Amino acid sequence: MVMRKTHVIGKPFPLVEAQKKLTGVSCYAGDERFGPELLHARILFSERGHARFRLRGVEAARKQEGVAALLTGRDLHTRLGAVIEDRELLAVDEVKYAGQPLAVVAAESTEAAMQALAMIQIEYERLPGVYDIESALAPNAPPVHPHMASYRGFDQVQAEPERNLAHQVAFQRGDVEKALASAAFVLDHTYTAAPLQHAPMETHGGVAQRQGKGGLIMWMHTQAPFLQREVIARALHMDPKDLRIITQCVGGSFGSKVFVSVEGLLAAIAREVDNRPVRLHLTREEEFRAVFMTPAMRARVTMGLDDQGHIVAIRAIYDWNVGASVDAFLMEMQRIALAGAGPYAIPNADIQVNAIYTHLLPAAPMRGLSIAQVHWAVEQHVDELAEMAGVSPLALRQRNLVKGGDQLFPNFVMHANGLESCVLETARAIDWQPDHQREASGAVASGKGLAMGWSPILVSPHCKSRATIQCDGENLCTVIVDGVDVGQGYYAFITQLISFELNFPIEWITVQPTDTGNYDSDWRAIYNNLLWSTGRALLQATAELKRQILSYVSEMWEEPMTNLDIVEGEVISYATKRRLSVLTLLQEGTGEGAPPVFRAAGVYEPEVKAESLDGALQSFATTGYAAEVAVNLETGDLTVLQLAGAADVGHAINPEGVKAQLKGGIIQGVSQTLLEEMRFKDGAPVTIDFMSYPIATTADMPQQIHPIVVEIPQSTGPYGARDLSNHVLVGASAAIGNAVYRATGVRIRELPITPQRIYDALQTQAKTVEGNC
Amino acid sequence: MKHDITFTINGESVHLTVLSHQTLLEVIRNDLGLTGPKYGCSTGECGACSVLLDGEVVNSCLVLAPEADGAEIMTVEGLSEDDELHPLQKSFIDHHGVQCGYCAPGMLISAKALLSRTSRPHEEEIREALVGNLCRCGAYADIIKSIQVASRARR
Repeated sequence: MVMRKTHVIGKPFPLVEAQKKLTGVSCYAGDERFGPELLHARILFSERGHARFRLRGVEAARKQEGVAALLTGRDLHTRLGAVIEDRELLAVDEVKYAGQPLAVVAAESTEAAMQALAMIQIEYERLPGVYDIESALAPNAPPVHPHMASYRGFDQVQAEPERNLAHQVAFQRGDVEKALASAAFVLDHTYTAAPLQHAPMETHGGVAQRQGKGGLIMWMHTQAPFLQREVIARALHMDPKDLRIITQCVGGSFGSKVFVSVEGLLAAIAREVDNRPVRLHLTREEEFRAVFMTPAMRARVTMGLDDQGHIVAIRAIYDWNVGASVDAFLMEMQRIALAGAGPYAIPNADIQVNAIYTHLLPAAPMRGLSIAQVHWAVEQHVDELAEMAGVSPLALRQRNLVKGGDQLFPNFVMHANGLESCVLETARAIDWQPDHQREASGAVASGKGLAMGWSPILVSPHCKSRATIQCDGENLCTVIVDGVDVGQGYYAFITQLISFELNFPIEWITVQPTDTGNYDSDWRAIYNNLLWSTGRALLQATAELKRQILSYVSEMWEEPMTNLDIVEGEVISYATKRRLSVLTLLQEGTGEGAPPVFRAAGVYEPEVKAESLDGALQSFATTGYAAEVAVNLETGDLTVLQLAGAADVGHAINPEGVKAQLKGGIIQGVSQTLLEEMRFKDGAPVTIDFMSYPIATTADMPQQIHPIVVEIPQSTGPYGARDLSNHVLVGASAAIGNAVYRATGVRIRELPITPQRIYDALQTQAKTVEGNC
Repeated sequence: MKHDITFTINGESVHLTVLSHQTLLEVIRNDLGLTGPKYGCSTGECGACSVLLDGEVVNSCLVLAPEADGAEIMTVEGLSEDDELHPLQKSFIDHHGVQCGYCAPGMLISAKALLSRTSRPHEEEIREALVGNLCRCGAYADIIKSIQVASRARR
């Protein structure tokens, strides 16, 4: 066995693009250089919720000096959506939500664009609106989409437009009624979670430029260029092949830069001007008001426990306020249904997931958040059930957790997994004890809580993942893939894999920015679970490329290929001890004729077992969280003292990178549990900056954070690895909620856990105690 | 109203004509073409636009360009010298102090200012120095570690 310096799998490895990011040369939204021909786009957004409207002064605005083009819904009436086209590119006559685009302009400067839009007066006539789940489902509530049945893609959803049900996914096994009737303990509670903002530091933006008559190039900061190409092209009645999206550096997405929001407007206005590039870059306030929210959740959970400590049944109804569009949330609902019983082998389950239309801005899923919110409900419920039955919450979890070999879905058998290790190791990290209740010093009480998590990894049926590697004397080793690095270390993983498989020094390897011009991939081409899908495609490509190189040298040296190998960038012969640098090979070849160019491609095609809820289920990511909190019993102030987060990643290909993702998940978990809540007045967001919508700063960090990597190999993943980044924070909120209960004796069932909510619950508790005396 | 101003940026002296309402961030990005400082909020809440102005960290989105007349300014582009990365930059690479990277130029500027005040800051001091720099990826722990390691390496 030859020891290799290029053995970089499982070793610390920096982000390959880190240096560019740290010297200020990476190209984010607003950084593209186009010179004086660049035009600037601005959008007129509705400030009101549901209303009829008229625009006045449009023609004068169009003639304003410096305006190159201006579009309203009357100029371009078209709908958009990936599966169901339940949004308009520009509103016509009726505004469904505050933040809906009404007009878009391109002008010589941002100021000229703003001046033009300022000339347009909007006359609103208010219409009755429904803004929360309860009012949307009330009898006689106005339907948000009365004409939904006429939308493209209506046949893809289970909807009842007249009562604002946008889509429903359900899953049943066993007989829940019967099991609950005979259970020793039955518990029923409702949990809620507030709508949030993705709030990437880079607001949405990009540049678009018409090419010739019908073509368009877009330089975009998106996670899903193929999806965006399809949706935009369809909305603008273009052939997708005429729209090319070149991805640029993405300054954070968290799910907000997957589905199309304002990008369609940029494309539309760029097509109106004469081959000049047009830039759009949203302000922070626009980002808050008009891009996407995450849906608010209401979960009604009933569980039954028998006298042996087995959870025998769960009924859970998850309702989500998806605003005026369900399109971006459809696939997430499938994941919610699969995760909805929690990480337990419960024989009887009835899970219902409902998306409810309201007159709020469209919802899009956020990095693992919906699944985290499901666990906010289930994992607090399990603690409550444990207390009811008088057993330790850890013991109850250990007795019921899902194990390798359990078949909970018809087409899917659970694989070996690290769920139990995750919860045990996080418990150990913060010294959680089963009999430990609160510790109080003065007004401050502390407590510790646990939670587990599981998060389904789906492969969407038609998506392929592709990878092409080219080796030549000029560029050495260039890689073309179809995923996008958003800071999770995707390009680092690609570099590691190629360096390992081809035994090339990492400096030779360059990953090209993803460009829809390279592949004609399906719009469902993967934007999640990249490690798995790109990894599998790359393993094919590297095997073929290595074969090509060795075959070439074999002919040149007249030696059998079986003698040859690549070791640290050199082709060597084990038989004759000859060596040749691959660099020399690429630059000189045999010395006669043109030097060789090696090129190999790999394709990963997911196996979809059945057209059913679980047919595309590939695996579950499993996590564990443990929190210690301190609560001021007089004020309700909450501090997370320590938070441990563990994830089973199968095999940590980049261990420090995995820990970096876990640490990030821990911070986001604290942020979402304690701080974040989008608020509205008459359907219009009032949380429109980082003062009204705070996210965690260094001041909000727990004193101690414990990232824990668990590795139970996934037999089908590259090197046994499993994806992580999308699942990293599942369980954090529930662990904090369980810790708050232990510290205070009050159970907070609404997210976020604010000091006010704790204070109010403590007041109620005090009154109840007085009343009992 | 127009103003003729002169300042030094990353060691180079520049003369510009700016308008009263233009921010330093706009001038640095649009007129000087230095896109290291980022637009994040325009209200001084996120720190993505942080630059050093006479050695102090400022949100360049809140500084009017005419106020920078006569000042000495440093952006992230001025950190490395002759293509040699600054120890902070090296440390951020080695210790995963960057994920999506949008906050990184501002983080580095705040870190640079901290290290010129305190050569070996405690974790608490680093947390305090970064409180105005938001990172949505939540990379704070690794950013703090990067700064700590860099401060030790400098000695």
